[in-house]
Amino acid sequence: MDNQIEFKNVAFSYDNEQGKRDIIKDFNLSIKRGSFTVILGHNGSGKSTVAKLMNGLYKPTNSDGTVLVDGIDTKDEKNEIEIRRKVGLVFQNPDNQLVASIVEEDVAFGPENLGFAPEKTRERVDEALKAVDMYEFRKSTPHHLSGGQKQRVAIAGIIAMKPECLILDEPTAMLDPKGRAEVIRIIEKLNRENGITVVLITHFMEEAQSADRVVLLSAGEIIRDGTPKEIFSDIKTLKAVGLDVPQTTELLYELKENGIDINTDAISVEETAALISAALHLEEK
Amino acid sequence: MLKDITFGQYYEGKSLIHRMDPRAKIVLLIIDMVFLFLTKNIYSLIVPAVQIFLILAVSKVPAKMFLKNIKTILPIIIFTTIINLFYGSGGTVLLSFWHFTVTTAGVWRSVYMASRIILLILISSVLTYTTTPNDITDAIESLLSFLKIFGLKTAVHMLAMMMTIALRFIPTLVEETEKIMSAQKARGADLEKGKLFERIKALIPILIPLLISSVRRAYELAEAMECRCYNGGVGRVRMKQLKYSLVDLYAAIINTAFCGGVILLNILL
Amino acid sequence: MSNIIEVNNLCYSYDGDAQIVKDAVHNVSFTVKSGEIIGIIGHTGSGKSTLIQHLNGLLKPSSGEIKIEGKNIWEEPKKIRDIRFKVGLVFQYPEYQLFEETVFSDIAFGPKNMGLTGDELVGRVEKICDVVGIKREYFEKSPFDLSGGEKRRVAIAGVMAMEPKVLILDEPIAGLDPKGRREVIEMVRRYRQQFDATVLIVSHNMEDMAVLADRLLVMNGGKLEMFDTVYNVFSKGDALKKIGLSVPMVTRVLNTIKEKYSGVRTDIFTIDDAVKYLCELSAGDSNA
Repeated sequence: MDNQIEFKNVAFSYDNEQGKRDIIKDFNLSIKRGSFTVILGHNGSGKSTVAKLMNGLYKPTNSDGTVLVDGIDTKDEKNEIEIRRKVGLVFQNPDNQLVASIVEEDVAFGPENLGFAPEKTRERVDEALKAVDMYEFRKSTPHHLSGGQKQRVAIAGIIAMKPECLILDEPTAMLDPKGRAEVIRIIEKLNRENGITVVLITHFMEEAQSADRVVLLSAGEIIRDGTPKEIFSDIKTLKAVGLDVPQTTELLYELKENGIDINTDAISVEETAALISAALHLEEK
Repeated sequence: MLKDITFGQYYEGKSLIHRMDPRAKIVLLIIDMVFLFLTKNIYSLIVPAVQIFLILAVSKVPAKMFLKNIKTILPIIIFTTIINLFYGSGGTVLLSFWHFTVTTAGVWRSVYMASRIILLILISSVLTYTTTPNDITDAIESLLSFLKIFGLKTAVHMLAMMMTIALRFIPTLVEETEKIMSAQKARGADLEKGKLFERIKALIPILIPLLISSVRRAYELAEAMECRCYNGGVGRVRMKQLKYSLVDLYAAIINTAFCGGVILLNILL
Repeated sequence: MSNIIEVNNLCYSYDGDAQIVKDAVHNVSFTVKSGEIIGIIGHTGSGKSTLIQHLNGLLKPSSGEIKIEGKNIWEEPKKIRDIRFKVGLVFQYPEYQLFEETVFSDIAFGPKNMGLTGDELVGRVEKICDVVGIKREYFEKSPFDLSGGEKRRVAIAGVMAMEPKVLILDEPIAGLDPKGRREVIEMVRRYRQQFDATVLIVSHNMEDMAVLADRLLVMNGGKLEMFDTVYNVFSKGDALKKIGLSVPMVTRVLNTIKEKYSGVRTDIFTIDDAVKYLCELSAGDSNA
């Protein structure tokens, strides 16, 4: 299986008044085509920088570091448009990504920039809006939509360019629980049904449940890399790096700390309930 | 009011006027405005008056919507009417006091001036009631595209992009301003009292957060636009293509006829 | 204990365009006792924001009345600003409202508006910073150079510096990491202790509400759906679900266990209680 995105010895730093600051250093990571990867990290762990390196918005600041998208080097200016078309990036604040004041015209922005014929753009727009369940709102104005709906429109705006890979940088951080659920459902669907490679960057552990792989980032370094179950059972590390641990996992962990022999790799309420029932040898009454 | 700028004053409908190409509407509006000013007296004003009321009827926008717009500028209308009462010379003297005299000619003149302003408001209201700000923006971009031959292609594109982004962000920023105002009021900020200087000073707690947030928004939007393959509009093809239809042709013909009427009356009377 | 807040038949509707659907409030009545911590829950658009903006007089009721310490706040409309010093309101993402050049002057903005000057003003700011743990070395820093969590704390301290008897916070921990969340919760706790304040917190986080609040006020569609103890509100899981809210995750786990194994308690809303209960259950199990 081939790699959609590949980081090789990447460093990224910037200069400010306090001098040079390294955000990431000697960073290596490959994202497989068609996979669903979650990058977990706290604020300031360098996860947004990683996202922006993935579509060439940022370039490695060391000369021997490369980011390859489908084998193409992001450092090469002439590949810019091709890379952005392949790797779409969705940001945290939905308000600041929407350009036009009518939903369908906003979604059309990407295809329009690519110079597609109006009919082709129309087709792409309708398709994208249907994929995020926002077709019925195509004539609305973003200002009248909820946060979750706006974020889905932002995703549609990227999908309309038919990217192979979708990077989402904390897409749910500003949403209420309902909006969060809507957006996560759409992301999972795009990966499963449309075969889009998804990299979801977040600090909400719950959102990593259905991922193929979880990469744990802290202070610009990958400190864990594995399946969701592998990562979640290591609650000590998760807490040490300042991550949000859902109550379910926390409960299992506390029970174990209190001497109960129990697995701690569940997140969902159902799994947790099953693990507890088993550990306590509960019997149907 | 600004919050709803997306639809502006747009009154949804499917009338012939609604269906006209926004470019045609803008061009014909400009022509009609010019002709309103070309009318020499109250008689030749009858032609555009008839035309404008016909357009209003065809647009199917309720009369009260137009009255609302007239009401907002009523002070200007009244002011013009009163000033012009004293300007006319000739005709019978109706009233005379101190330095002022009102003659029949003056009365006619003020009726003529007031009617002209009202008609002007009515005809421009038809445009805003039947066309969304978005369509107006697209039309302006398209109408200005002739500037391309002077090497101003990027300038035209940028103007249109700026208008689009403004339409998109004005409601967001208005809401944000309200939020910041409430928050500072909650900290006891007094925005209503004081002398002019104090009032201006009182705006600082609102303007600074607003400015900072706008800069942040602009920066984030620029990155998001880059991610969507925007590169200054080179090779960009709009999804919505404006198209003239038969309605526009008929409108143009009818409009020309009325304009002819104005010229004729101007010569005859 | 006396009632510090009394809301009677509060109604509010936004006038203007019907196109903008804003959350209105219909006929809401409740009272809050001095010193209580009230959690306000309800999904977006349920009328929570509208409600809290009435309590400090930012919005004026269409009908009904609000009494703070027994006095109708709109009795003297000209003195409405005084109510804002009595009822402090911290908006969502308050760090976006920072504007001064230094942390000190930003925190001093509220007290200054109250008319404090000189030593009194400095004393006020120093006092609140000591209470909530903002170090003196921060005073001369620009608030814009701080981290997200620090900015949030400075912004909240700016409201606390007015020493309001009632402190209302709209989603004070939204968007913070666990450390930032702990710090904000701790600072609210300390403020309450020091000033015997009454606290109202709006939040989506049921887990935090279970730990923090004495009573929960549930809003739905502009109406007051429930106003009861945490225990009683979270015991009505089905009713909450109907209006798009949920009980804390631990409670949901216990509910799920109960589906198969009746006899399991489900009236537990915090991790600590759940661990204690399940350990007891386990001990009973091994004894048997």
